[in-house]
Amino acid sequence: MTLWFDVARVAIVINLVLLLGLGYVWGRNYAKFRSKHTLGLLLFSAILLVENGFALYIYTLDPVLSVWIAQVPPPAQRAMTLLRVSEAAALGVLTWATWD
Amino acid sequence: MEAVLWYVFTGTRGGENRARILRALDERPRNANQLAEDLDLDYKTIRHHLDVLRDNEIVENSGDDYGTVYLPSDKVRRHWDTVETILEKVE
Repeated sequence: MTLWFDVARVAIVINLVLLLGLGYVWGRNYAKFRSKHTLGLLLFSAILLVENGFALYIYTLDPVLSVWIAQVPPPAQRAMTLLRVSEAAALGVLTWATWD
Repeated sequence: MEAVLWYVFTGTRGGENRARILRALDERPRNANQLAEDLDLDYKTIRHHLDVLRDNEIVENSGDDYGTVYLPSDKVRRHWDTVETILEKVE
């Protein structure tokens, strides 16, 4: 049952790419506008970037945790993966609106 | 409206150019061609930004024919303080 585990890892990478794109736009805009609003967006993307970076680490690099997570029973593995995939969908929509 | 203004101008990739367009239209109403020339932007880019600004009721146009002139909407005039704060940051 490594399919869900692999899907989660792909979703984490997609999240990281989308968050880098959002952080680029919001970082540039914050440099320009210096508004509370843009700062909030920038921090939002930065915190989620750290969260997904940490997830990538425990899902792929950490020698103990990555093995444990790969062996999580399928119902739990599925649930964890669905959380990642819905995050990717949400960030996709946000990137679509922001890249405009 | 406040949140829309912040997002449209400072939350998106094209926000800065949209801010320049709104400032130009505040100086005097112009059509898409004049905006492209005055702001040194591609005509298609201007058209796209004008559509976004119109969808968000930030600008309105004088008619539907070619060469129609755009100007800031009444709605955005009521929130001009916010607009000023945003536009100050753009050259």
